[in-house]
Amino acid sequence: MLQLVADGLVVGSVIALGAVGLTLTYSILRFANFGQGEFMTWGAYLAVSALALVLAVTGAGVMEPLGPFSFGWQLIPAMALAAVLTAAIALAVDWALFRRLRRQGNAITLVIASFGAALALRNLVQFLYGTLPEYYTREIQIAIRLVPRDVLGGLRITPDQMLVIGLSLLLVVALHVMLARTTLGRAMRATAMNPALARVAGVDVDGVVRATWVIGAMLAAVAGVMAGVVGQVRPMLGFDLLLPLFAAAILGGIGSVWGAVLGGYIVGLAESFSVPLFGAEYRAATAFLVLIGILLLRPTGIFGERA
Amino acid sequence: MELIPALSYLAFFLVFAGIFAVMALGLNLQWGFTGLFNVGVAGFVAVGAYASALLTGPPEPDRLGGFGLPVLVGWIGAMVASGIAAFIVGVAALRLREDYLAITTFGIAVVIQLVALNAQAITGGPFGIQSIPKPFADALGAGLAWNLTYLGLVVLVLGVAWWALDRLVASPWGRVLRAIREDELAAASLGKRAAAFRLQSFVLGCMLMGLGGALYAHFVGYIAPEDFLPVLTFQVWAMLIVGGSGRNAGAVLGAVLVWAIWSVSGGLIRGLLPAAEQARGAALQVVLIGVLIAAILVLRPRGVLGERATVSRHAAGD
Amino acid sequence: MTPALEFSGIEGGYEPGLPILRGAGARVMPGEIVTLLGPNGAGKSTLVKAAAGLVPVWAGRVTLGGRDITGMPAHRMVHEGLGFVPQTENVFANLSVLDNLKLAAALVAKRRRRELAEMFALFPDLDRQRGLAAGRLSGGQRQMLAVARALVASPSVLMLDEPSAGLSPKLVGVVFDRLRAVRDAGVPILLVEQNVKAALALADRAVVLVEGRERLEGAAREVAADPRLKALYFGAHEEAA
Repeated sequence: MLQLVADGLVVGSVIALGAVGLTLTYSILRFANFGQGEFMTWGAYLAVSALALVLAVTGAGVMEPLGPFSFGWQLIPAMALAAVLTAAIALAVDWALFRRLRRQGNAITLVIASFGAALALRNLVQFLYGTLPEYYTREIQIAIRLVPRDVLGGLRITPDQMLVIGLSLLLVVALHVMLARTTLGRAMRATAMNPALARVAGVDVDGVVRATWVIGAMLAAVAGVMAGVVGQVRPMLGFDLLLPLFAAAILGGIGSVWGAVLGGYIVGLAESFSVPLFGAEYRAATAFLVLIGILLLRPTGIFGERA
Repeated sequence: MELIPALSYLAFFLVFAGIFAVMALGLNLQWGFTGLFNVGVAGFVAVGAYASALLTGPPEPDRLGGFGLPVLVGWIGAMVASGIAAFIVGVAALRLREDYLAITTFGIAVVIQLVALNAQAITGGPFGIQSIPKPFADALGAGLAWNLTYLGLVVLVLGVAWWALDRLVASPWGRVLRAIREDELAAASLGKRAAAFRLQSFVLGCMLMGLGGALYAHFVGYIAPEDFLPVLTFQVWAMLIVGGSGRNAGAVLGAVLVWAIWSVSGGLIRGLLPAAEQARGAALQVVLIGVLIAAILVLRPRGVLGERATVSRHAAGD
Repeated sequence: MTPALEFSGIEGGYEPGLPILRGAGARVMPGEIVTLLGPNGAGKSTLVKAAAGLVPVWAGRVTLGGRDITGMPAHRMVHEGLGFVPQTENVFANLSVLDNLKLAAALVAKRRRRELAEMFALFPDLDRQRGLAAGRLSGGQRQMLAVARALVASPSVLMLDEPSAGLSPKLVGVVFDRLRAVRDAGVPILLVEQNVKAALALADRAVVLVEGRERLEGAAREVAADPRLKALYFGAHEEAA
């Protein structure tokens, strides 16, 4: 019981972080970006390469675990570098594709294009890295027993998993403060609400769009690395998370950061609790059930303002 | 080049192009004529393929079916099954923003893929379903004669679907559909009836996709979950976009063109790359098609044939 | 004297080949309120939107204090000193009153930035609602916030698109009274209005636009008395019918 909650929160943290990026791009760029999952995949793989680079440059060779964690400090600069590179990819795709389609002014064409771009990005990863899973570290981590087995089934969790929960919360709080307190944040909220008014109020909407891609892609990249830390880095990593991401973003209400976080936890918990009920093989279908449920009951989401 | 293998390959190529064309016609009804964005094409194709395989296949001891029914019954069953799946998805998602339909259809395709992989008692799991009956194969064998016969069947089905869609689009029903797509005011004034029209178009389109799946199953003779991956959805979309959505001829032409590009590029990769690199090559093939679809969207948004300039968005508003 | 804002020979519209503006011209001198009148579809709103950079201008010139600003991206216009208040959805409904103003202030250079306190002094109603989401303000308060949002960037000209739309006559009076105060504080105003009587009572001068071109221009009082004013409205109605 408790274990299921903990597992759900770990998965939910990854989903939440990806969904926050998705809900931002959805509300500001005004289309459902099917490429968001691929940014996670690219982030995870770029971190693999960046880690190799950092290890080569520092001459460390092998990563010494950092404190209780399975990975060394080298993963932190590697993750940062991967996030920057993923943002660069997002900007490049926007420049080559979405920017031109925005001018044609048909939102649904952007969705098709993002579907095509997602497939191309996913297969490019497969082409470059192959289909075998990668790991940041081979270090085996011992789970800490937080709750003894006779209390609600007990609870064991690894330091890595705790880090994933904490880091995702930290990033979301940082994003929230940015959106609430800074000019860029207000400009982003203003653009999401009414792009034409934002323009005449003096907002450089093209700049806001670029900032949105950068933030969304960087959050996705970090989420991808975290998924890799507690699991494996696979070409389908992001694709498999795309449906949970959409379910979480819609559940929370498009444009709502805290909604996406809550949605992420709910989808993560639902997935986790579905395993004893329906078996692990149908775990991925849970997000779809959540999605259908919210569309039938409250399509604007928990915190949604407009349909 | 020897004549018989060349002809045989040509027939093989055209059968596939024809099957894709049936699916693309279904997608054109949804996207080209109604503006519905379906990202779950592969899922609805899979439902049709499995339904027909179960209905017509020989009985299997450890799996549901097959029921050994005639192939024609299988094809009709395929359309019914895909139609039911489409109805469920449509009721949930069609009354909402258009991109929610995209997300929901994406989701149903993922779930159908999961069921195909895991519900061994129905779908045979990862190994899929073998020995799906090939119509007239008893009389004709497996050679060129059968390929040509099946090609005839596919062309017949494609022709009937094409003709029926043309009639439908020209009918009052089709005119309402176009009005809904072009003019939000008209759609709003129709209210609930507009939603019903959208749902009908969505279900009909998915039925054609299911029929395409059945045509595929009975041509190849076995199906497995990996036949219905998202790349299939993407191929059908590429066909519609390359050919130009909003015209049935565009959908059919796009199916032939994209399938030709796909086959040639696949052949090149198989010929040029060593065996160990084939999987990577296949990935590159998808990347190239992805770039193609993006380039056409940007450079030639109306496709090769393009939409007949009947109603511009502006004229409809006046 | 250099006009604060001048349009000359503006041609433009939303779609190529379908011009709404056919050589429109108008001028706002420092210290005055000019109202832009005309029957439905005359292109009044389109003209101010074109000036603000929201509608493509195909030909003609827009100058602000003598500087050519034609075709500049909308957000650059704000930095150049052109303020614009759209007719509807003219506040960021999801942002608080304070955030609406803070954002507008932060987007322009420091020398243009006005103190928020100044705005709250001009619109005391807003002061009491600082923390409220702008979407929850009443119609009149929204109009005030929209004007304050434009003013906080200290524009050298303020353009308003039908600020009286949807307001009760009493509230129109209040809003117009504030506009008078804005003019007296030194910001010239170009006002698109459907409400001819109220607009002519407020404005110093009037320009009447018909079919995308100015047809009548003069002091507000004279235009109000001019028999051609009615004819221009009436004639256009006849054509439309």
